[in-house]
Amino acid sequence: MKLHQKAYLLVELSKKDSSWDYDLVAKALEEYNVSGSRWVNTFRVALDELSAAGLANSTDKKLDDGTHVGADKVLFKYELTEFGRTRMCETGLL
Amino acid sequence: MTQITLDNALKNHYSRNQRWGFTWAIWVAVLWGAWYVPGTALWFEKPFSDIAADDQAMMLGATAVMTWVHAIAVLFFLLLWNTMLGKVKDYGRTLFRFRKISKWYALASLFGGPMAIFGSYMAMGFIGPVFAAITSLFYPIVGAIIARLWYKEKISSRAALGMVIIIMGGTVIYAPGLFGEVESSNPNLWLGYLGGLMSAIGWGAEGAVAARAMDVSDPDTGIQCRFTFEVLFWGVIILPLIALFTDLPIADFIVATVTESSAMLWIVLASACHAYSYTAFYKSFSLIGVGRGQAIGNLYAIFALAFIAAFTLQLPEWYFVVGLVFVVAGTFVMFTEPAESVIQLRDQGATA
Repeated sequence: MKLHQKAYLLVELSKKDSSWDYDLVAKALEEYNVSGSRWVNTFRVALDELSAAGLANSTDKKLDDGTHVGADKVLFKYELTEFGRTRMCETGLL
Repeated sequence: MTQITLDNALKNHYSRNQRWGFTWAIWVAVLWGAWYVPGTALWFEKPFSDIAADDQAMMLGATAVMTWVHAIAVLFFLLLWNTMLGKVKDYGRTLFRFRKISKWYALASLFGGPMAIFGSYMAMGFIGPVFAAITSLFYPIVGAIIARLWYKEKISSRAALGMVIIIMGGTVIYAPGLFGEVESSNPNLWLGYLGGLMSAIGWGAEGAVAARAMDVSDPDTGIQCRFTFEVLFWGVIILPLIALFTDLPIADFIVATVTESSAMLWIVLASACHAYSYTAFYKSFSLIGVGRGQAIGNLYAIFALAFIAAFTLQLPEWYFVVGLVFVVAGTFVMFTEPAESVIQLRDQGATA
């Protein structure tokens, strides 16, 4: 069985030192075979929630030139925090 | 054309998240306030209206049946919601991971269902809707304290001030009405008080427990998991135990409830309000935190009184306006927090 979506984003985050949100979203779209701006926003909100809860941390930001999400939107580069790693271990995701 | 800077775009991004968090929390208030109308009206329909006021055992048994049927209807509305969002599969995936993740939703459902919703129905049935609403007003304090102690959720001084003002406003709205509603001759008074207390502690604890589960899962699917467990707790454990170990005609009462169209109409209306109020409740937590989400959700006091007034055709008293000013001022104090305050909802180093 596939992981649920937020867990999948966490697992992908844990595989690298840091990842841009558009890369994570692209992987999630492919994993769950969905498309469209609503799903892009759904995954971006999930990343915002992970960041707000302290499981992920934004290490870099840049403005989208229209290539990824939309012109003038902020793109975030995330890393898994120590708290995120601990929470993943507790919940069987690591 | 104006070139937007990264700083401005960032500010817009965080403001949008904050605005969405507060918008969800306001929806909690509107729908929760509306819930008290069908929730109370239900007690005036058969088979509930046939129960003698001094038959405490039957009243409690009826409340349990009412809460279970309500939970099933809520689950149906949530299924509809997640079907529209395309998240039903994700609900299954989350529910499946019981030992490590969805167990927290099971615990949240115990606090929210058999404790809070059951308690609130008790308070509505044994005393009245105004009493039921005022006693629940204190649940954000319970939620904020647990979230602070358990996983170090940040409560800024402005957010704390906003919470205090909102709760003062709620008290001003309800306290005078409370004295008119509570009759000392009521034999079920203590059960109503107990129900009110259960609802405040239950909803506060539910918010804190559910927010922990939402660290690694989605709020839309999380709320459906939570109500799945509530339906199971009532249907598989609590009601069968009541039927086995008491003389209460639980099975007959379930049949009488679901075959009574007036009662079911109120239950469906109450469930629709509660399903989407709860969805908004969970969604606000992950964007603005448990403390803020619950405190803004407390605006339900205004909407509950307005809806009750609209349906009973009794205009609110002057103190309603005073309370309204307090509650709106408290919300404004919280809303004027800098958007950056919701970027990180927890202190760094939180481990619980």
